[in-house]
Parts: sequence; C-alpha cells; structure tokens
Amino acid sequence: MKLFTRYARVNFLATILVLIVGSFCYFFIIRFVLIRQLDDALKIEEAEILDYVAQKGKLPEPTNYKDQMIVFGPAEKGLKRQFRSTYQDPEGNRGHEPFRQLEFPIEAGGVRFSVTVSKSQVETEDLLWLIVAITVGVIILLLLIQFLLNRYLLQRIWTPFYGTLGAIQKFNLQSRSPLQRHPSDIDEFSSLDLAVNQMTDKIIGDYQALKDFADNASHEMQTPLAVINSKLDLLLQERDITELQGRHLQAMYDAVGRMSRLNQSLLLLTKIGNDQFGRGASVALHDLVREKVAQLEEMAVAHKLQFTTHVEEATVNMDPYLADILLNNLFSNSIRHNTEGGSVRVDLRQGTLEVANTGEPLPFEADRIFDRFAKGKHSESTGLGLAIVRQICEVHGCTISYRWTGIEHLFTLVF
Amino acid sequence: MKILIIEDEPELNASIASYLRGQGYLCESVFTFAEAQERVETFDYDCVLLDITLQDGSGLDILRSLKQSGKTEGVLIISARHSLDDKVEGLTLGADDYLAKPFHLSELGARVSAIIRRKQFGGNNLVQFGDLVLDTMAHTAKVADKELDLTRKEYQLLLYFACNRGRVLSKNAIAEHLWGEDLGGGVNYDFIYTHIKNLRRKLMDAGTGDHIQSVYGMGYKFSAP
Repeated sequence: MKLFTRYARVNFLATILVLIVGSFCYFFIIRFVLIRQLDDALKIEEAEILDYVAQKGKLPEPTNYKDQMIVFGPAEKGLKRQFRSTYQDPEGNRGHEPFRQLEFPIEAGGVRFSVTVSKSQVETEDLLWLIVAITVGVIILLLLIQFLLNRYLLQRIWTPFYGTLGAIQKFNLQSRSPLQRHPSDIDEFSSLDLAVNQMTDKIIGDYQALKDFADNASHEMQTPLAVINSKLDLLLQERDITELQGRHLQAMYDAVGRMSRLNQSLLLLTKIGNDQFGRGASVALHDLVREKVAQLEEMAVAHKLQFTTHVEEATVNMDPYLADILLNNLFSNSIRHNTEGGSVRVDLRQGTLEVANTGEPLPFEADRIFDRFAKGKHSESTGLGLAIVRQICEVHGCTISYRWTGIEHLFTLVF
Repeated sequence: MKILIIEDEPELNASIASYLRGQGYLCESVFTFAEAQERVETFDYDCVLLDITLQDGSGLDILRSLKQSGKTEGVLIISARHSLDDKVEGLTLGADDYLAKPFHLSELGARVSAIIRRKQFGGNNLVQFGDLVLDTMAHTAKVADKELDLTRKEYQLLLYFACNRGRVLSKNAIAEHLWGEDLGGGVNYDFIYTHIKNLRRKLMDAGTGDHIQSVYGMGYKFSAP
C-alpha cells in the first residue's frame, strides 16, 4: 500500500469520525441553547400573566396565534410549574407540530387555574435542520477536497520520490552509468535524491578502483612471469641436468603456465566486464566449430576419445575473438574433464550448440559450475574457463546452461 | 644477423639475448626509450625486439620513427598480454609480429627466425637442416628432394624444431605453439608424445636419421643424429 493511500485512508476515517461526533455535539448544544431561549420567552409570558392577574385580579383572555397559545384550565391538585416539549396542532389538540410549553398554576379571584403557554418550536427545528444540512455539506466538501488533493497534488509532490526509486531499481553496476537526478522542491526528497546519487557515485568509483586494481595487478605480474619463464627456458638448455632436476623444472613450467593462464583469464574477464569488446559481427559458427573439433581430435589422440559431431550452418552475432575463446573453453573443458576412452559429442544447430562429454560427476553443486574458481581440488585448470564462457554469453545476450545427464556433462548454448 | 633487444626488464632482456646468441645471432641490449631511439637512428639491424611499455616512453613511438625514416628492420613487439589495442596499433604501424608476455624463448626464436627469413633479400622461404629442407611458402618438407607426407601439425612441429635447432624445447612450449595457449595449456601433454612419435617415424623412414631426442622426460631437442 502506498504511503499516501494509507495516510489518506486514516485521514478520511479520522475526519469523518470527528465530523460526526462534532456535529452530534453541535446539534445538541444548539438545540439546548435554542430551547433555553424559548423557555426564556415563555418565562416572560408567565411574568406578564402573573402581573396581569396581580393588577386586575382576573385572568387575561386566552390567545391563540399561530406560534403562541395561552390556554387556561382548571388546576389539578398538586400542579407544579413545569416546562415540556409536545407535539400538537395550532388549535391546541395533539398534532404534529413541535411546541414548547410552560404550565404553571395561578390564583385568580380565589380560584386556582392552570395556565399553559405554548410557543411553536417549528422555527427552532427548521434552524437546527439547516445547521445539520450545512454541516453535512461541509463534511462532504471537505472529504471531496481531501480526495482530490491526495489524487493530484500529493501524487505530483511524490513524483520525484518515485523517480529516484525507479532509478535505484534500474541501477546496474556493470553499466557504470550514474543515476539520473530527480530534482524536487521538497527538502526530504531532494536530499534523498542527492544522498542516493552520492552513494551510487561512490559505489561506481570504488567498483572501478577495484577493477583497475585487478587489472593493474595482473598486468604487473606479467613481467616477473616472463622473467621466470625465460630463465626456465635457459635452465633447460644447460647440460648435465639430472632426471630429478628435470622433474622439478617440469613442475615449475606447469606452475608458471598455470599462473600465466590464470592471469590472462582474469584480465580477459575484466576486459569483458569493462565492455572493451565490440558487439561483434556475424560469426559463422559452423566453420569455427569444425576447425576447433579438428584441433580437438588432434589433441585427443592420446586420450582415445570418441568424437561425434553434427554441424549445421549457424551464425551468431559475437565478437570473433570472444567467439573463439568461448569455443576453446567449452571444448578444452570437454577433453580435460573426460575419462580415458570416453566420448565428446558436439551438436550445432541454428540457435543451439550442445557440447557433451563423459566424465566423473561434478565434485561440487551443479549450479556453481559457472562460478569463478569452481573446480575440483586437484584440477590443473584455472577455474575461470567456464566463468569466462558465462561472461561472454551475458555480454552477447546468449544463455549457457549445464546439466549432468547421469553419464554425460551436457552444456547447452542458446544464441 | 644483428638483433636489437629493447626491453626495460634487465633479466628478461638478458634471457632473450642469451637464447638468441645461442641461435647464432648478434644481440645488442638496450633498456630505455632514449637509448633505443639513439641506437635505431644510428645503426641498422635485421630485427628489432620492441617492448611497448618502457619507463621513459612508448615503444610505439620508436616503431613510428623507424617507419618514418624508411628503415627496413623487422620489428617484433613483445608486450604485456591482452593489450589488444597495442597489438592492433603496432601491427597497423608496420610491426611484423606481436608476442605477449610471458612467452617461451623458443617461441620467440621461431618468430624471429620467420621475420628474418621474410626480410632477407628476395624473401628466403627455405629452412635447411642437413638434408632436410622446409619450404615455408609451400608448407612442405623434403628430404633429398623427396617430399615428406606430413600432417599440418607435424609440419608446424618440424618447423618449430628447425627454428630452434640444438635447443631443448619444453612440452609446454610445444603445446602452446601448436594449439595456442587457450587449448594447449593445462591439458595432459601426452598428446604431444603421439605427434612427436609419428613425426620421428616419418623422418626416419625418409632416411634422414633420428633428429628428435627426448630430454630429461620433459622436453625435446632437435639436432643432428
């Protein structure tokens, strides 16, 4: 629920409640005041009648006007002065018009009479109903205005807030574009927008610094690696190297080779992440796949691997260099993690490429297979090959998925 | 054959010089942009090995001035890996080849040999070793005028050996030369053995003797039997 919807709902209920309670009080207070006024008028009549009787010693003539009646009658025993409200018609019978009455006893010429002075309450009631009508009108008007305010004004006031929110939701660290500003003349919103912008700018800066660091570190490692590699090459030329020393040298070669491939892979990942490659050209995947498979078959002679290939014509929109790396990584993966005498199956159709190979089941969960450094404990690989594959796919809008079929590791590229 | 090595890392420079001297080249080493600039202006070389990132300047500027003064030196750029832009720019500026660090000295040896072959008057495309002759234009190998029936990889392997004759080549270097670092690296090297065995047999069948020796179980050497 939106903040102002909730706020408006509470506000509506409170307003209606206060107005209803208020108008009830209002109604009864005004009614009370008006009746007291009528009573005062009745008292004046009473005083006049009492004066008249005191001076003249007899009762005045009864009157019967539309809004005021004075009626005399025999006093019942124990009659007390009292005010009351009744309904009667102007002739004095019981009717539908509201009247306020004052009945009091009086003695004229030694006889006790009762005097009833009635005043019509119609005007008072009319006034009351008018007031009620006005109040109800005001309530309705008030609610209407509140509704419209919420609907249009509040929505306009909150627009920059939703703009900022939308920008945060769309924020993508990879694209490294700063958030769009949403200026507002509301202090809270503009400072929120500013704070969010400063925060994302800092995140972008830190992220870039981190990437640059990885990039620079990898670059800086290349020269020492080159020195070690060259010294190994020279050492190998020495005469009188023993078998054992030869094995040490081989281990060093392998380690330096791994280090250098690791380095290369990290740099490549950074470069792809930095979008330093083009969106690419149309690559004839069938030619590339055939070429790679031929290379694989040459390499795989020692492993006695069985190759099954089905290649249909297929093109993909990709940077040619990256397409090459993608296939290299997928295919060398299928040889590296194969078993002696196993098989590799390559199936290319327009839109999909399947690479399946026999091998041991994964030593880790399948959904981690494309993560960086996800590899078996004793694997000689860098653990970055498939991470690079995924990164290349992401950049070019392709998808790569992995499945263990029970006998085969199956990679499916959808492009 | 005179080679100028422009590389600011002294140890790497020394390694390169040592290896190439062993191949029979005359090598001069310089370590700074200023020295390098002076050297290429004053003398002529058959091949210049050029590091792009020097302390006091860019190797690309040396390449530019070489080309502007109409010199015909072959230029091999050796540079930090994955500076794809450097590679493209270097080759556009007229460099002959590009080698990313770290590299195997045998790979460097093969590349230098190829550049010098191309730069020689009239373009010498023959590599000779005893009675073995490789034609780098036609991609063929002959023993006593009889053509050997080699696969593409076997030919590449033989040429690689011939350009690094008398030197021990590690399996790693051979694998990366034949299949590139992406495919060749990190897999079981047994597959090299198969190819070498086949090549050896074909050479012996052609009657040129056993040139390929296995060394310390970790590399191979190509020399006179």
